[in-house]
Amino acid sequence: MITAHQISKRFGQHEVLQGVSMKVEPGEVHAIIGPSGAGKSIFLRCINGLESFHSGSIQVGDLQLTPQTDARGDAALLQSVRKRVGMVFQQFNLFPHLNVLQNLCESPVHVLGKDRAESETLAMQLLDRVGLAAKKDSYPRQLSGGQMQRVAIARALMMKPSAILFDEPTSALDPVMAAEVLAIMGQLARDGLTMIVVTHSMSFVRGAANKVHVFENGRIVESGPTQRVMQSPEHPVTKSFLELTS
Amino acid sequence: MRRRFSFFLLLTVVFAAVLAAFADDLASVRHSGVLRWAGDQEGGGPYVYPRSDNPNAVTGFEVDLATHLASHLNLKAQFVQGEWTELPEMLQTNRTDVILNGYELTPQRRAMMNASIPYYIYALQLLAKKGSSILTTWADLKNANARLPLKIGVLTGSAAEVYMRTFCGESAAKVTCEVIGYDGNTDAMREVETGKLDGALEDTPIATFYAPRFPSLAFIGKPVSEGYYVIYARKGEPALIQAVNTALISMIRDGELEGIYREYGIWNDEQQRLSAIADSAKFYGYPEAAETGKKINGGPAEVITTGVRERGWTVVRNYSGVLLESAGMTVILSVLSFPIAITIGIFVAIGRLYGPRWLRFPLGGYVEFLRGTPLMLQLYFIFFFLPELGVAIPAFWTGILGLAINYSAYESEIHRAGLQAIPHGQMEAALSLGMSRWLAIRRIIAPQAIRLVIPPIVSDFIALYKDTSVCSVITIVELTKRFSVLSMSTQATLELVLITGLLYLLMSYPVAVLSRRLEHSRAMA
Repeated sequence: MITAHQISKRFGQHEVLQGVSMKVEPGEVHAIIGPSGAGKSIFLRCINGLESFHSGSIQVGDLQLTPQTDARGDAALLQSVRKRVGMVFQQFNLFPHLNVLQNLCESPVHVLGKDRAESETLAMQLLDRVGLAAKKDSYPRQLSGGQMQRVAIARALMMKPSAILFDEPTSALDPVMAAEVLAIMGQLARDGLTMIVVTHSMSFVRGAANKVHVFENGRIVESGPTQRVMQSPEHPVTKSFLELTS
Repeated sequence: MRRRFSFFLLLTVVFAAVLAAFADDLASVRHSGVLRWAGDQEGGGPYVYPRSDNPNAVTGFEVDLATHLASHLNLKAQFVQGEWTELPEMLQTNRTDVILNGYELTPQRRAMMNASIPYYIYALQLLAKKGSSILTTWADLKNANARLPLKIGVLTGSAAEVYMRTFCGESAAKVTCEVIGYDGNTDAMREVETGKLDGALEDTPIATFYAPRFPSLAFIGKPVSEGYYVIYARKGEPALIQAVNTALISMIRDGELEGIYREYGIWNDEQQRLSAIADSAKFYGYPEAAETGKKINGGPAEVITTGVRERGWTVVRNYSGVLLESAGMTVILSVLSFPIAITIGIFVAIGRLYGPRWLRFPLGGYVEFLRGTPLMLQLYFIFFFLPELGVAIPAFWTGILGLAINYSAYESEIHRAGLQAIPHGQMEAALSLGMSRWLAIRRIIAPQAIRLVIPPIVSDFIALYKDTSVCSVITIVELTKRFSVLSMSTQATLELVLITGLLYLLMSYPVAVLSRRLEHSRAMA
């Protein structure tokens, strides 16, 4: 489904990614953990073309992103990738001028050309699923952080993507709200959605991820099935990181 | 791009050919049946000034002169309003057939234009306050014992200014008089009346005509430095100016001109010499003798004068209507040009922020060029320079176009700031939902930016709407120009300032209120 091969990226002299590879099969949930500044978010953003990279390649189904992929020249390719791979951001990024229902229906109607009534029916189902059907007419500023993130997840689901990337979805939330969001994400994992999740929540990793990748200084230092990595970490970075976060 | 350019070139050539076909001025004037003559009614009486019973129409000895002149040529006279200093440009760009507005005969002007024989012999009259002990003769201006230099007011750019500056500059040891330039004909006289100036030097027609308005002023000495007012036409086409000369000679001989001048009280003995000029018919080699008509003598029963100065409510009652009409022009100019400015501004801002790299530099240049040069110069360029390339746009549309283009630069910066103020995450979220960049701008970024830019756009609109006054340089008469014109002809400046200011405020305040409402409703959404 998603294959990243030897991705490298620099900001000037600083190498933020140094040959990162990852293979995600349909239905799998991959967790990316590691200290801040290790390149986790950058890697995630490379997958749906929000960031360019200097070498390597990314395969999403039959679509391929390379260092030559140009934000302007290959806009159509990037658009196709993004229709397949949704994204949920740390800062939610809901559209403040639209209410919840409009936030959800904006892209299906204007990008996919779906009928508005049909989109609204789907939107109500998804809102129901994240427990916010009652908030359909609210504006983002009237919602709590946890509610906003749940709306953002529903909004990503509206496009019926093959996979969703989660970029630290609970880092801006207090523990109670984080728990609400993680519960939804766990449910999606059980329903078989392909997910790549950058997170600091070890309980989510233990409960929902099939595989874990540990990032440090732009490299994956350890990678493996969740059970194995969590119970018997091999790399010193993994060990110290797990000690600190447990 | 290339094809566009060659199309433009072709258009230019076609226009030039059309212009060349009409190059014979007299023939084209005859063809139109109308003699267009240019002047600036702001110059005031007795030349060309608004009628007091109908301020939209003009009157003055030059109006009568133009009417008589045209009828000699079997034409109808049509007045063309322009800034006094811009009249030669208007002649050059074929916006008028002749200049007839107190234009003195000077070598510089004769080098540029064809001059007629004189139609009036003017001189410069020194004025001071009645009973003044400081200034009673020209000699007082050279009095080296005076404590302070005497202050003399003149009309900026006039022959009087040149004369006075030369005169005062001649003082050897000590500066005994100081020259101060004013933009209006009668400004200096008013300043003498209030005591801010010691004296004023005016053209004799002005001094004579406005004497009743300034009863506290006295003529000092005899008029000095005679000169000629002449009519100018485009160079290189002698037929029109010859026809004008023939008509003037006939009007001088049969006393028609004297009749007009007596009517305005500006006939004097000097004007007798006009007959000599007409008789000798030798003024700079003009050879033709015209037929002699019978001489009408004696003045009209009633001499046109300015009468007493209007004051207070009379001014409000008489001039509010015409000021309101001119305010309409101000509103039309701003309401038509601003939407164009906003539209161009939005596209320039989007191009600079999201457009391809090769587009950003020229768009940046567009903005900096338009912001960095005065609106007035841009209007001049469109109005006076483009016609030389064969692209003649009427004054009204020049005003709209100039304002729109100039303000599009400011608008683009406002929109750019507005678009940039929207957090980057909004664009990323939109893109990650599969939107194209353009759709994201349209549906997500722009609607959020609008609320931010409403207040600066409204201030920009109010600024534009006051800047419409600059359009007076390209002959458009809007509120400010109308104010200047009326203020010069009535001297009721205080009342007119108040009405004009009130009109501007009445027009801008509702816009400000509307903007606050709009902002509020957007904030609620």
